[in-house]
This record gives sequence, C-alpha cells and structure tokens, in this order.
Amino acid sequence: MDIKEELKVVGELDGVYFNSFSFGKAPKYNTPITPKENFLRFMKGKDYMWTPCSADFVTIMPSILPDNVSRAFVYDTQAFDILPTAKDMFGVEWEYVASAGGAMVRPGNPVLVPDICEWEKYVKFPDISSYDWEGAKERFKNVVNDDRVVVSWVFNGLFERLISFMEFENAALALIDEDEQEYVHSLFSRLCDMYDELFDKLHTYLNVDIVYFHDDWGSQRAPFFSKAVADEMLVPYLKRVCDSLHKRGMFIDFHSCGQVEILVPAMIEAGVDIWSGQPMNDRKRIMTNYGDDIKLNLAPDMSYAMPSSQEEAAEFARKAEESIKTFINDYKPYMKSMVVSAMSAGNPKLYELVYAATREAYSK
Amino acid sequence: MSKVQEVAAAVENGKVKIVAGLVQEALDEGVSADEILNVGMIGAMGVVGEKFKNNEIFVPEMLIAARAMKKGIEVLTPALKAAGSEPIGKLILGTVAGDLHDIGKNLVGMMIEGAGFDVIDLGVDVPAEKFIECMKANPDCKIVALSALLTTTMPAIKNTIDAIVASGLRDTVKIMIGGAPVTQAFADEVGADGYSEDAASAAELAKKLLAETK
Repeated sequence: MDIKEELKVVGELDGVYFNSFSFGKAPKYNTPITPKENFLRFMKGKDYMWTPCSADFVTIMPSILPDNVSRAFVYDTQAFDILPTAKDMFGVEWEYVASAGGAMVRPGNPVLVPDICEWEKYVKFPDISSYDWEGAKERFKNVVNDDRVVVSWVFNGLFERLISFMEFENAALALIDEDEQEYVHSLFSRLCDMYDELFDKLHTYLNVDIVYFHDDWGSQRAPFFSKAVADEMLVPYLKRVCDSLHKRGMFIDFHSCGQVEILVPAMIEAGVDIWSGQPMNDRKRIMTNYGDDIKLNLAPDMSYAMPSSQEEAAEFARKAEESIKTFINDYKPYMKSMVVSAMSAGNPKLYELVYAATREAYSK
Repeated sequence: MSKVQEVAAAVENGKVKIVAGLVQEALDEGVSADEILNVGMIGAMGVVGEKFKNNEIFVPEMLIAARAMKKGIEVLTPALKAAGSEPIGKLILGTVAGDLHDIGKNLVGMMIEGAGFDVIDLGVDVPAEKFIECMKANPDCKIVALSALLTTTMPAIKNTIDAIVASGLRDTVKIMIGGAPVTQAFADEVGADGYSEDAASAAELAKKLLAETK
C-alpha cells in the first residue's frame, strides 16, 4: 500500500456551481477502488478501505426543482443567480436573507394552510414528473457518472414542510393537538407519496445515492418536541422516507439542526443511515452509544473568515490545516461511525489527511 | 382541589377547551379575578416555564399552555377591568433589523405575557427607529427586549441600543437581549441590562428588571 501514490491526482472531474459560485474542477485520485464502491462497502460495514470523505462526494441540487431555487440552494452545472423571492413546489414564497445565507418564509406572510383540518382544500401537490428531468439528466451526465457518491438535498422535510405551510407555532401545536393530529398524519402520509416520486426521479435521472433530507427538529438548547411526539407524529413517516430510499439502494443523510441528542433513537428507529447534526450535541457520546446503528456526518470547524488577500490566504490555509489535524486527532477512534462532510469537498488537504489516516488504520 | 387549582392544572396541561369554563366557574364561586390571574394563570405559566427550562416539556406543550391561558384571560378580562387590575408592566419586543427569525422571540413574548406583562410585539426585521418610535408612544414601557438569531445580525442589537442611547431615551428603559448566538459577554459589551438563554428565563429576567425600575 502506497498512500502517497493513491493520493496522486490522476484526472479532473467536472465541478458544479453553488448558485453563482464555481467550485471548479474536482480532483480524481488514484484510489484502489472507486469512491462510490468504497462508500457502499462502508455503509454495509464490510471491506471498506477508508472513511468516505469530502471529495468522494458530489452535491447536486438542480435548478429544475422550485424548492432548490426558492431556498437559494442550487448546485447545478451552470451558474444560478439567487432570486430575492421565489415560490417553492407548493407555491409558498421564500425570501432570500443575505445575512443568513439562505431563504426563509417571512413571518406574518399569509399562510398556505390556515386550518390543518382542511389542508386538502389549500394544498395543491406538485406534478413531480412535470419538471425537466431529461434536461437535467443531460446537463449533469458528466457529474453524476464518474464514480463519486452523488448527494442531493431535499428541502423541506416533513416538519419543516408543515412549518412552511402554517408557521412554526401552529405547526408545533398541531403535533400535539388531538383535534389536529389526524390531519397532520394524513398530510405527512401524502407528502411521503410525493417524496417517493421525487426520490425515484432523483435516482433514475440523476443517479443520486444519498438524499440529504432536511428537517430541523430542534433549537440550540433543546429539541422542538419530545421523543414521544417524534415517535407518534414523525417517525412513521420518516420511516417511509427511509424505506423509499432504501428500496432503490439509496441512503438518507438526515439533516437536523439543534440539540436533538434525545431524538437520535427516533432517527434510528426510522431507519436513518447518517445524521448531520450540530456541534452542541455530544457527538462522540452518540457515536459511542449508537455508532453501530447510525453514522454521523462531521466536518472540521473552519468557520473563520474567508481570506480576501494573499497574506490572509496563507493564514487561512495554515488555520485550516491546523483545524483538520485537530479534527482527525479528536475523531480518529470514531472514523468507522462517521463520514466527513461532502460540503468540505473543496478542501484537498482534508481529503488527503482523512484518507491517509483511515486508509492506514483500516489496512491493519 | 380548589377551583383556582383546577384552572392552574388546566393551563399547565394545555386543556384549551375547558379553561374558559373553569375560569367562569371560579368567578361564579366568588374567587377574585386577581387570584385567578395570579395563581391560576401566571402561577401555572411559571410552572410551565420551569418545566420547559428543565426539558420536561417542549415547545408544543408550552404553546398549548399559553393558548389555554389566553382562553382563560378572555373570560377573565371583564372581571379584571372591573376590579381595576393592571398588567404588572409593559414591554416592547422585537427581532432586530435584518433578521427575520421569530420563533424564539414569539416564545419569549408568550412567556413574558404569561408572567403578567403587557407585551407590544413589533415583529421581525425591526429597525432601531421603530423601537424608538414605540418607546415614545409608550412612555410607561419600562423594558425593551431585542432578539437576534444570527451572528451576522447581532451587530444590529448594538446598533439599536446605540440608537436608543442617541435618542436620549436610554435611561427610561431596561434593555434585555437574547437569541441563539447571544451571550452574557455580548450583553455586557453592547450595554444591555440583561440577557437570558431561554423563554422561561426571559420572563424571570423581565420581572427582575422591572423591579429594578421601581
């Protein structure tokens, strides 16, 4: 095994734009098996050679989907200019907030569903097949067929979708109000049908391996709801989401912000493969307790300011390398229970160091 | 269990449908409106706040308790007016300019209302001038509460406080701040009078700051 040789860049892979920002070409390394093969082995827990990391993944979020456009989160093969406001698949208007780097529904805007008991009157489900899947397939053909693991985010998940329909407070209340619960169940069930169709298209046309399913379940200090509420109102539908993906050989990376450690068992019960959570959770403890049942998606903390000059660039690179080394030292014992974020794909140093550390460890 | 205790239990457990009836029954039994308010409502919301702080209950349970209290207050208001009962204080609340987040701010407003305050909620993305205008229109308001969820909008808290200082109104109010990235250190740095980390603590802080104004 010659790790240096394996980390030789032997080609260039097509990159994508994040909105109007180009990531440029991605490196193709001289790995003994393809990133996709290694990822599949890793998820099966057998014969993998390194921990799937950053450059093994390519994230796509085609502009054909109104949800990607409205959330100002487009990863496409062509530049996309963020719109100040845009409507999602259901006609809910999202407003881009530069300070947040994302879009949100302006509080106080008229809600789509004023009464959950009558959601069928207000909610018109999109025709998923009407989007230009053939066009997207053609556009992405060089990006999604090069043996990288293809990730696509799905905004919004179940609870987030409910919030977008009726605002946070009404959505949260509907989860426990016995007069409203049955309608939440029927709406979530119908949403699962839609997700199934959406996943099918993502899989068939765009070769997607992982759906990064976006559904915030908590705030900085606590979950939004109890485990009992999650079990009753969300787990059955998240399970359907997971089943929809698994039956196609796809995986779910479940994104939930917030301090939601007590809800990790609910995610496991639903069948979540990977959880992308935030640092306020004790992630080492979670991997110790649940590392056989769920993997965590982690990345080094590189939240310092981006460089704006040559001098700053050197300082940035130094800090980044330091963060990566700290990250690897911290998480080395847990590398079999985690993947390293696709969002850090632009950092070759991260890839090289994680690859080298885990490749060597797993070869013993 | 006394009728007031029944009211308190109904509020605590978010029994929206029965609270109004229980409040009416308590009034009919001759319980004073003040006692129903202080014990049955504000007391119950205090318990709710404590449980929320300790993660024994979560946002939906807190919201439904607040909704139950609201139903009770609707029945209680005429009796409170007749008895000359007033809110314990007035508080202006809003999310600062450039920030559209309202979840935390709304929970804070709810808990402060539950503590007996009259809350003027200016909403989200509130420019400093709007806070100042509202302070001028409500000279009896003793507390201004500012919220920001983003590190990128935290400077707007400072800008708002600076504008209040420049308007000459700083000494007329106590200023409390909160939001995910906000800390006590930041509160000290920007010259706020207090900071709280969750909605229940915010209600306690508002009461403490109000007491300091007296």
